[in-house]
Amino acid sequence: MYQHDVLIIGAGLAGLRAAVEAARMGVDAAVITKVHPIRSHSNAAQGGINAPMTDRGDEWEGHALDTIKGSDYLADQDAVELMSREAGDAIIELEHMGVIFSRNEDGQLGTRRFGGQKVARTFYVGAITGSAMLQVLYEQAVKLDVNIYEEWFVSNLIIEDGACHGVMAMNIHTGELHMIRAKAVIMATGGAGRVFEPSTNALICTGEGLGLAYRAGAPLMDMEMIQYHPTTLAGSGILLSEAARGEGAYLLNSDGERFMKTYAPDYLELASRDVVSRSEQTEIDEGRGIDGNIHLDLRHLGRTFIEERLGYLQEVAVEFVGIDLADDPIPIRPGMHYIMGGIKTDVDGATEVPGLYAAGETANVSVHGGNRLGANSLLDTVVFGRRSAVAAAEYAKSAERFSSDESMLQSEQARYQALLDRPADLRASAVRRDMGESMVAGIGVYRDQNSIDAATAKIKELRGVYSRVAVDNKGKVFNTDLMSAIELDYMLDVAQAVCAGADARKESRGAHFRTDMPDRDDENWLKHTLVYKDGDGSRVETNDVTITDWTPIERVY
Amino acid sequence: MKYAFYPGCVARGGTPELLVSANAVMDRLGIEREEIVSAACTGAGVLQERNQKLGDALNVRTFALAEQMGVPIMTICSTCQGVMSQANRRVLQDPEYLAEINTVLAEEGLEYKGTTVIKHLLWVLVEEIGIEELQKTFTKELSGLNFAPFYGCYIVRPSDALGFDENPERETSLETLIEATGAVAVDNDGKTKCCGLPILLINQGNALQMVSNHTGEAKDMGADAMVTPCPLCHLNLDGYQPKAAKRRPNGKIDLPILHLPQMLGLAMGMQPKELGLQRHIISAKEVIGKAAASPAAVG
Amino acid sequence: MEQTLRVKRYDPENPGSAGYQEYTVEVTDTTTILDALLTVREEMDGTLSMRCSCRASICGSCAMRVNGQAKLVCKTRVNSVAPDGETITIDPAGNMPVIKDLVVEFKPFWDKMRAITPYLQPEGEVPEAEYLASDDEMVHLVGVVNCIQCGACVSDCTVLEVDSSFLGPAALAKAYRFVKDPRDGHQKDRLGALNESSGVWDCTRCMQCVEVCPKDVNPMGRIMAMRDLAMEVGYNNTSGSRHTESFARTVKKNGRLDETRLAVDSMGIFNIPALLAEAPVGLRAIRKGKFPWKAHKSSEPNKVKRVFEKIEGE
Repeated sequence: MYQHDVLIIGAGLAGLRAAVEAARMGVDAAVITKVHPIRSHSNAAQGGINAPMTDRGDEWEGHALDTIKGSDYLADQDAVELMSREAGDAIIELEHMGVIFSRNEDGQLGTRRFGGQKVARTFYVGAITGSAMLQVLYEQAVKLDVNIYEEWFVSNLIIEDGACHGVMAMNIHTGELHMIRAKAVIMATGGAGRVFEPSTNALICTGEGLGLAYRAGAPLMDMEMIQYHPTTLAGSGILLSEAARGEGAYLLNSDGERFMKTYAPDYLELASRDVVSRSEQTEIDEGRGIDGNIHLDLRHLGRTFIEERLGYLQEVAVEFVGIDLADDPIPIRPGMHYIMGGIKTDVDGATEVPGLYAAGETANVSVHGGNRLGANSLLDTVVFGRRSAVAAAEYAKSAERFSSDESMLQSEQARYQALLDRPADLRASAVRRDMGESMVAGIGVYRDQNSIDAATAKIKELRGVYSRVAVDNKGKVFNTDLMSAIELDYMLDVAQAVCAGADARKESRGAHFRTDMPDRDDENWLKHTLVYKDGDGSRVETNDVTITDWTPIERVY
Repeated sequence: MKYAFYPGCVARGGTPELLVSANAVMDRLGIEREEIVSAACTGAGVLQERNQKLGDALNVRTFALAEQMGVPIMTICSTCQGVMSQANRRVLQDPEYLAEINTVLAEEGLEYKGTTVIKHLLWVLVEEIGIEELQKTFTKELSGLNFAPFYGCYIVRPSDALGFDENPERETSLETLIEATGAVAVDNDGKTKCCGLPILLINQGNALQMVSNHTGEAKDMGADAMVTPCPLCHLNLDGYQPKAAKRRPNGKIDLPILHLPQMLGLAMGMQPKELGLQRHIISAKEVIGKAAASPAAVG
Repeated sequence: MEQTLRVKRYDPENPGSAGYQEYTVEVTDTTTILDALLTVREEMDGTLSMRCSCRASICGSCAMRVNGQAKLVCKTRVNSVAPDGETITIDPAGNMPVIKDLVVEFKPFWDKMRAITPYLQPEGEVPEAEYLASDDEMVHLVGVVNCIQCGACVSDCTVLEVDSSFLGPAALAKAYRFVKDPRDGHQKDRLGALNESSGVWDCTRCMQCVEVCPKDVNPMGRIMAMRDLAMEVGYNNTSGSRHTESFARTVKKNGRLDETRLAVDSMGIFNIPALLAEAPVGLRAIRKGKFPWKAHKSSEPNKVKRVFEKIEGE
């Protein structure tokens, strides 16, 4: 029998930071993850982590303002304030744990500039910041002897009397299903990029955390806010970090022109991501693209600089497209990258379901609002990962008992068995691709009522055929085929919630740009969309954005 | 083409038969050469782990000596080849580093300009002499023999220091030569692995297991002998084979290990003594017999 | 164009069916081996199991053997391995037990990572702000942090093939990251532990790890650097360190290597039983005319010695 006071689902930066905090507090905590922690997608974060550091003349208010402006005033300002205030300590803590951040001549941590910010306050490790941080947090988890269920796949939550009491999960190595009881569960499952095709996200980013919480009754907030990153490789959608532009790279159209000067004369290539992606898309749509792409040009930075500061980018460019960044510009385009939306939480990670917490990309606090600034996601994970652990541990102390119901496991087993027993028909991968392409087409850089309706209808149709999805693999050991089929079930929920949010928000704000309603509407839409699961469909509610010191004004870069 | 000959320490020390056989074969081929008598040991990677710059300096000194002679270096040792290739790559990639080393060499009036080419006899044969020319010197067609190649780590890795991109034929050069003699090249998995010598004196159990695995595998695949361009591999694979054989199920292996020139010498119809074949720990008698009984080469 | 993959299959629930299975898929110039395998898994045969995730050579999931050599298949283009459309053979990574198809058991890998005390251990007072350290002292460590723990080096390590107790290239590279971190206060203890058997001296310097590492971490170079450091801080009484010292001494003296001296020194001259155990091999070698009693020399040993003196004196 497995049981823990606090169970953390996911072992990326948010999950591991939560685990480290829980271990330090001395609670019985465990992490459950479908891949080894080191394989988590946090490792793909490249450019850095933002923090205003008072001792180098940068105050928290500056970072908060940039974040709020970047969010197009959709972020909750109390949450942003908290993140900006805690950022400096979070960086120092990471440095003390062992992260090898780049340094300046004085031996202090050095910074680079990132989009949507005029101040260089992004701390970094080459172009592998996420990977370097993930390794160190895992090291700390090893040091604290955190219990980790490695390669276990969570397929359902234990919900009793409306509260979360643990999970049901398959040990991927044996195919056995188990209940893991917990007084509190922290969802730290990352993003849902694979709901879109293409996407920069890893194949594991299937968003079942969002789907699990949604089905348990937690609302998903601002799901229409999908970030398209300005610099992704055509085809595969592999990411090229904003660090390139942070370090001075240009975006060029087919005339070889730095077109950002017309769209963001002040910030140029370093305007916020939604602005840059839209500018690129406009250039492409108006015939100034290069085979449907834009050129990212680093040549003037020089080979040595590129290899030292942006080594991973050079590796990706050379290995995947055969382009040497020191010699040639590389074709890029906007690509689905991040979901600002997520499980609605308060600043301590609590969701509307008692016992269920969330942190990181899967959560929506909300600090990113309509558009996340580059290098704010890593900050989000460590600040709110830590806070969620504190709150979950406190909650676990007051929770009286573990659940004792066994019947749920049988129904979960039946769900697996039905998939295994179904004769060959539709493959999950085919449905997933159809879903992903429809989502990019419908909920893209630009969208309108027609495109949203088309995506909504397509997702409804695919939900209808899900009952025909079957698996080839009938075995128990490492049955990734079976996992994909279950992941798809949740992905369709996420897709549906995204469409519902996009349909509900009748304005343009941040990443949600509707060509049929191109203006921001603060009078009616300074609001979050909350999508609740409702029978087979959903219902959308709204609530007001928390505004403290920063009155929404026009957003110009 | 004339070469600045660099036999390496082991060809004189632990495996003197290598130098003997190499000289015999090169004479037969008419390869003109002059030994770099003042050259030091390459460091074999051992010196480099203590002080890489020191190792590099000794090698750059050798390159400068050859540069003065105006000809490429030719070695008969895989390890020397690899260590020299790596050192050469390091100094060519970093002109400042080369300048520092040149300052040290200036005392004896040497300066390396970066032009020396370094080639193992194995590559010289395949790339410069050519298989056709080589075969003209063969009097025997070793068609009844199976030889298992064994390269030695340093002549296959790191591939980017060894010019495999520009000279892809190097990757299979040993098989090419084996087949040129009319013999069959066994496709043994161990051919590019480690013989174990570097840890022989540190962790003998592991070193012996490597010998046992590689010679045992080749034997099981029907090899009559193993052929190596590396005298260090030879030292271990031959000298320690009796001890390693205890690790095999039947307690024996008995696989003769031939130096590359010895195999070529057999194809040239040379006498075993000319090739130093009596000096091996594992008797090469059977291979010698089979070679002698081979048909005459046509060509 | 069409490309055939020959994929090693193994199902623990049906071990009798183990063997290679061929799949032919459509590929382009930029198709990676992972793309091709995903096509197989998603469109042809869902029973194929493998680990993969990021598709961008950063998560470390997809190391496997391609034509016998460990590679990260997400960053290996099909045409780089099979320019003329030759069949490509895919095996699971080596030196780890196979779980199913291309999935191997990584537990020994992670256990070894744990064995090197894989976290920073600062000593003394914790500063309020960051530890101060020069970028030069730190930035080179990023080359090691670049390691994504994919296991390619472990797969092809020739020592692990004969001795599963060896810490192996990945864990040793990770150890180097802490040994060289100026913030760590346990360099000497760490080197002491790494100086034990299964540690830095068991590497054969075969360079497999250097060759197959998809991230240019150069594990062997790190191992060699730690040997040097271990000797520097005073761990001199291992056969490995004596071997290196003896090697240097003899080259310094004669300009060339002296194998007999090396054999005696490495064992430790007080290690009588081990020396005797060597004797049969040694005697047999001497009878065959090997191991000359008189060391051979460079024609100008003094010049070689000068190079030693000048560089060692730096």
